[in-house]
Amino acid sequence: MNYYLTILIYIGINSILALSLNIIVGYAGQISLGHAAFYGIGAYSSALIATKLGVSFWVSLPLAIIITAVVGAILGLPSLRVSEDFLAITTIGINFVVQAVFKYVKFFGGALGVSGIPFPSIGGHRFSLAAFALMTAIFTVISAVVAHLINTSWIGLGLKAVREDELAASSSGVNVYKFKVLAFVLGSALAGLAGSLYAHFMMFITADDFGFPLSIAILSMIVIGGIGTVRGAFLGALLLTIMPELFRPLSDYRMLVYAILLILFMRFLPEGLIGDESIVWKKIRGKA
Amino acid sequence: MKKVVALALVVSLTAGFGWAKPQKAKLKGVKLKGVIKIGFFSPLTGFAAADGLSALRGARLAVEQINKNGGLLGKKVVLVNYDDRVKSSEAVAIARKLVTKDRVIAAVSGSYSGPTRAAAPIFQQFKVPMISAYAVHPEITKAGDYIFRNGFLGTVEGKAMGEVALKFLRAKRIALLVIDNDYGHSLAEGVKMRIRQLGGAKIVYEKTYSIGEKDFTPLLTAARAQKPDLLIATAYYNEAAQIARQVKQMGWKIQILGEEGYDSPKFLELAGDAAEGVIITTNLNRDDLSSITQNFIKNFKTKYNEDPDMVGASSYDAVMLLAKAIKKAHSTNPARIRDALQSLQNEVLATGVLYRFTRGREVVKPVQVQIVKNGEFHYYGIIADPDVVTPPW
Amino acid sequence: MVLQQIINGLASGGIYTLVALGLTLVYGVLKILHIAHAGIYALGAYMALVAYKIYPNIYFAFLFAMATTAVAGYLVQKYLYWPIIDQPRIVPLIASIGLFLALEELYRLIWGPYVIPFPQKFHWKTYTLGNIRLPGADLFVFALSIVFLAILYWIVNKTKVGLAMRAVADDKEVSEASGINSKWTIALSFIIGSALAGAAGLMVGVYYNSIYPTMGDVPAYKSLAVIVVGGMGSIEGTVVAGFGLGLLEALLLGFLPFAFPRDALAFIAMIIFLLIKPEGLFGE
Repeated sequence: MNYYLTILIYIGINSILALSLNIIVGYAGQISLGHAAFYGIGAYSSALIATKLGVSFWVSLPLAIIITAVVGAILGLPSLRVSEDFLAITTIGINFVVQAVFKYVKFFGGALGVSGIPFPSIGGHRFSLAAFALMTAIFTVISAVVAHLINTSWIGLGLKAVREDELAASSSGVNVYKFKVLAFVLGSALAGLAGSLYAHFMMFITADDFGFPLSIAILSMIVIGGIGTVRGAFLGALLLTIMPELFRPLSDYRMLVYAILLILFMRFLPEGLIGDESIVWKKIRGKA
Repeated sequence: MKKVVALALVVSLTAGFGWAKPQKAKLKGVKLKGVIKIGFFSPLTGFAAADGLSALRGARLAVEQINKNGGLLGKKVVLVNYDDRVKSSEAVAIARKLVTKDRVIAAVSGSYSGPTRAAAPIFQQFKVPMISAYAVHPEITKAGDYIFRNGFLGTVEGKAMGEVALKFLRAKRIALLVIDNDYGHSLAEGVKMRIRQLGGAKIVYEKTYSIGEKDFTPLLTAARAQKPDLLIATAYYNEAAQIARQVKQMGWKIQILGEEGYDSPKFLELAGDAAEGVIITTNLNRDDLSSITQNFIKNFKTKYNEDPDMVGASSYDAVMLLAKAIKKAHSTNPARIRDALQSLQNEVLATGVLYRFTRGREVVKPVQVQIVKNGEFHYYGIIADPDVVTPPW
Repeated sequence: MVLQQIINGLASGGIYTLVALGLTLVYGVLKILHIAHAGIYALGAYMALVAYKIYPNIYFAFLFAMATTAVAGYLVQKYLYWPIIDQPRIVPLIASIGLFLALEELYRLIWGPYVIPFPQKFHWKTYTLGNIRLPGADLFVFALSIVFLAILYWIVNKTKVGLAMRAVADDKEVSEASGINSKWTIALSFIIGSALAGAAGLMVGVYYNSIYPTMGDVPAYKSLAVIVVGGMGSIEGTVVAGFGLGLLEALLLGFLPFAFPRDALAFIAMIIFLLIKPEGLFGE
């Protein structure tokens, strides 16, 4: 039971991560290959606030979200100056630099990471694993709702305009800069939430948890699930979290299978499993 | 055509899930009679796969030998192992799985510090004894009284290195290269601690470098300019091999002092004749006359066609320690196993004699000093001074 | 000491340049970030192992490695990139990353996770020029890089093929209208770039006496930084940026009083550069 709850929690956190990246990549069309950096900033902020200031999870969580959003805004600024491919590489660079900061600057714990992060508790009673899982589920649902609201609001329209055609958007009076930064802010805020949850669940984090391979994994989730859709983010997160566990018997070939699946999906099903343009989704819809 | 492939993908994905399930059902927490399960995890894929594989091999060899000698308490020992890819989150999931689904009675971590540190609290929470074979993070044993560490603490080994530097090699000006993880930093701390304690030498150059670094010439050039008489380079065997080679390539005739990270046939292979004369602190003494050590080396080589390294030897001993504790406790009750482990004394292991575990569950063991002679590791000295080898907790 | 550090940096600079060049060539004509390129670089080193089993000779190994990587490059562009060329940018990018991961895993599964020494032992001499030490290995790498660069320069600037490559990089439609077979030109860019990467991989295998599955990781990231700083698609830019990075690393590592992760250095330099000149050194 314990083990399944752990997996559920991972699925929840990854879903939130996928949803958050979806805002930047799916809605606003900005290629971000360094999303693990924001996840890490959220985790480290929450961890450090809780351990250095001695406050509980309930205080460090909102603070972590805010900090990550602010940093997201700052780090999102390069997106204004550079175009697609440059942006892809810049975001990778951001990932590496942020990770290096966590690893080398003593304040962040350096090589030893941050330990002793408090598990959430209420009134002195530590949460049970089931309670944490429930809380994660609630946050996941909230994130999905938030993502959906963003998408269907004026923000979503603006983001879509930027994604489809920047030039046309700006000629129609859409403040492209504002929306690009907004995408990063919103995406980072949610990533910060995921990061905080992760930190307080693991109770111990190191810089190694937030590297480039993770950024790719998150991106893979939304692309495989179906980019730009909430349901796609969920499916992608679910699949990519469960796969390592399910494929354990195949353990030696796990990574190879994962990599081949990535290639196959990009080659044959780039719209993702249940993305808007996906054949599978259309079939499901057609039948329904 | 595209449609067909797409559908095929979806079908194979679902089939994959379905197929994977029956395997899981087999390992489900059914208490098999007549079997004792010991959990094990190490990185089998990813950049640390080489160490993970060595560790697994050491553990498997131990289990094989235990079973050959009649098993434990009359039962067969089964090693339940998983690949953690050096990821803390995987280690946590594995720990929960080992404890709640596979129902192991004890576990060994054959992995690095991050995953071990993350998994330890879980074993502690469920009161399952766990031994960290070689991970050095200081917080690991602080997770609780069920967590033990078989390898040397970084600071202990660092102090031993300082001892070798000043007492054996009589160094006065030391250049120190530090690998940028908890291992490197704790080693450096230990070295500096001992140098301060003994006095008479100083660090003329100190630089931290990234794990995985291949090009040391800028650092070595800068170090050389300070005219040191000893180069202490904390590293794992890949970096160590590059350091040794590049020192030689630069035409620099300086003594290199390393530690157990160097302890692998790979170091000798990759460094070639540049390894000659390198001295290291470690736990495996190839010239140890003890039959346990010699048999371990021989059996490892026979079974895997490779010489053993520190990681393999440490994992082997970790499993053996558990076996000894279980035998001593005459039971699979975790609290008894824990107590038995804590009370072990003067146990002869492949990696030398374990005097005892401290209250903080760290080993008190002499540190071996080996030198590379004619392309092989050989005895150079031993450090048993309690001042040096006793862990701080 | 500064001069010595500069010598140190030239060898690594040469390697970065060779690897990044392949990336530049590909980006120039296909506008795809071919991250799997680093996997082809590693393939060059592994092919040396195969070559030595057939005929233990370094020259043969070079030819063999470059031939196999050239073929690999051709296959990658034909079966992976061409079919998805019209998809949004992110698709070939992820496909490339997937391929890179798959290659690393294949190397590990076939040859094992351990670091394998190069099948031939080289005994390098160190030459001295006044106060400066010139390690033979560094000279070898540097000299070979220059040779390859010279050959590439000749191909790109003095042959019809090179002209076609530059034309397609500049504007694909117009070149096709002028009668250039862009498909073949692109294939050729891949072949040349991959062969260069294979050579670089083999050279690194010799220089560090190490061949291992994840050896492509660091070049993958650094080449990206190099081509950005050089100006995406600009060969001259890549050369300057590649050597520049090698020198910068050597100097900073030698003189900076505090520890610094080498990999992040490349990206920090890149980010600073982007703030000043977003198109890169020679980009448009």
